Amino acid sequence: MIEVEGLHKRYGAVAAVDGVSFVAPDGQITGLLGANGAGKTTTLGMICGVVKPDAGTIRLDGAAAATIEMRRRLGALPDHQGIYSRLTARENIRFFGQLHGLSGAGLEDRVQAAVSLLGLVAIADRRTAGFSQGERMKVALARALVHDPPNLLLDEPTNGLDVPTVRTLRRLLEDLRARGTCIVFSSHVMEEVSALCDTVVILAGGRVVAAGHPHEICRGTACASLDDAFMRLSNAEEVPVWLPRT
Amino acid sequence: MAAAHVIIARKEIVDHLRDRRSLASTAAYALMGPAIVMLVSLSPEGQDKEMPVIMLGMMSVFALVSTFVGGMNIAIDVMSGERERRSLVPLLMTPVTPRDVVIGKWMAASIFGLGALGLNVAGLVIVLALGAPATLVTHAALLASWAILGLGPLTLLGASLEILVAGLSRTMKEAGTSLTLVLFAPMIIGMFMVFFPVPDGWWSVVPIVGQQIVIDAGLRGGPAVSLPVVVLGLVTAGCAWVPLAAAERVLSRDDLAA
Repeated sequence: MIEVEGLHKRYGAVAAVDGVSFVAPDGQITGLLGANGAGKTTTLGMICGVVKPDAGTIRLDGAAAATIEMRRRLGALPDHQGIYSRLTARENIRFFGQLHGLSGAGLEDRVQAAVSLLGLVAIADRRTAGFSQGERMKVALARALVHDPPNLLLDEPTNGLDVPTVRTLRRLLEDLRARGTCIVFSSHVMEEVSALCDTVVILAGGRVVAAGHPHEICRGTACASLDDAFMRLSNAEEVPVWLPRT
Repeated sequence: MAAAHVIIARKEIVDHLRDRRSLASTAAYALMGPAIVMLVSLSPEGQDKEMPVIMLGMMSVFALVSTFVGGMNIAIDVMSGERERRSLVPLLMTPVTPRDVVIGKWMAASIFGLGALGLNVAGLVIVLALGAPATLVTHAALLASWAILGLGPLTLLGASLEILVAGLSRTMKEAGTSLTLVLFAPMIIGMFMVFFPVPDGWWSVVPIVGQQIVIDAGLRGGPAVSLPVVVLGLVTAGCAWVPLAAAERVLSRDDLAA
């Protein structure tokens, strides 16, 4: 479970994140929805520990997340997947497994399990230079899952992917949710968020402007679709902010 | 289970060994000095009475520069290259500290730096043994011992400076430009001291200056090992921690993930 309370982050005069709070429970997919610059990536960066919050708390499975040890309970797929092109897919995944403290037969078992889970068996021992966008995403996701983390953060995971790969990813996320994994993912693809998320947190200007099940948000904003609700909530001048569910 | 910095160093070494163009370029730079000295020694002017002195000066500068050559490409690749390819952020999201990351990458850069130094010194020793005037041959063993004690630690310092400068650069192109300027430090100091030798003094334990003094002294038949060389080695290796600490701060900055 990921609990975020009163997160603030400024870059100079710009408040990138301004008092963001939400809870992402185990066994659920929580979507962070927002336009570009809404604060999604900065929020995820603070949860992962690569961006230091100016204020606020982050708890991971009940403990403070700002420790190196707690990162073992987290798998993360940043917006740019950044895999090593001169290493094979298996070597990429193994390297991250080692950094998460795995070794020996246990490491190899976990690497093989991640390779199988993501359907990478046929290309696991090929260098990743020349991999398609979808193949690179799968390697990056396998790398994030190699240590079997109870919490998973994905930053716009479907960007640039073709339809079959998006479907594979959706199935995988549904399987992980069924196994009790806490999943937080950011996106601006409404269809994806509506289809997958149990809870949606909408960010605008670094603040939470709505939170709840997609249907609740649609009802609360009197909109027919999440798309419309998002547009109204993202533009604070157009309508008053719909208060998040507590 | 290996420590995080060892895991990172091992990965960087395996990764960089597959970059054949970079390895070829490093080897070419490391062997450029011996090749030039060989050509000079084979030329008719190479038999001139004054030529051994000039060749000694050339060798010392080439050896000095080689300490900065070997770690340069890998430092660019593992710091600014990773930043440009956005693979640094996923690495920092794992349970490792920025210190682990910096030390791991520095260890890898140092190993390639030491490899280039070894190649350079081996090349110079072979050139001396094969084709140089007889007066220089006796200095070959001394050159090797000075290299280990004086130049080895300078390689560690060079690698740490390269890791810092590459870490401060946003792109590989920017890092390449900045590191070319770093490479000028041993070149200019070395060349200056060839033409304006300085006497022994406290500066003989100052990195780069000290190395130039001891290589020059060694090539001219000085003692193989002496206390100032050991002190110089320790001071130089100790100085390597300063850029590493600064690089650690660079990797702790928020803008890497922004």
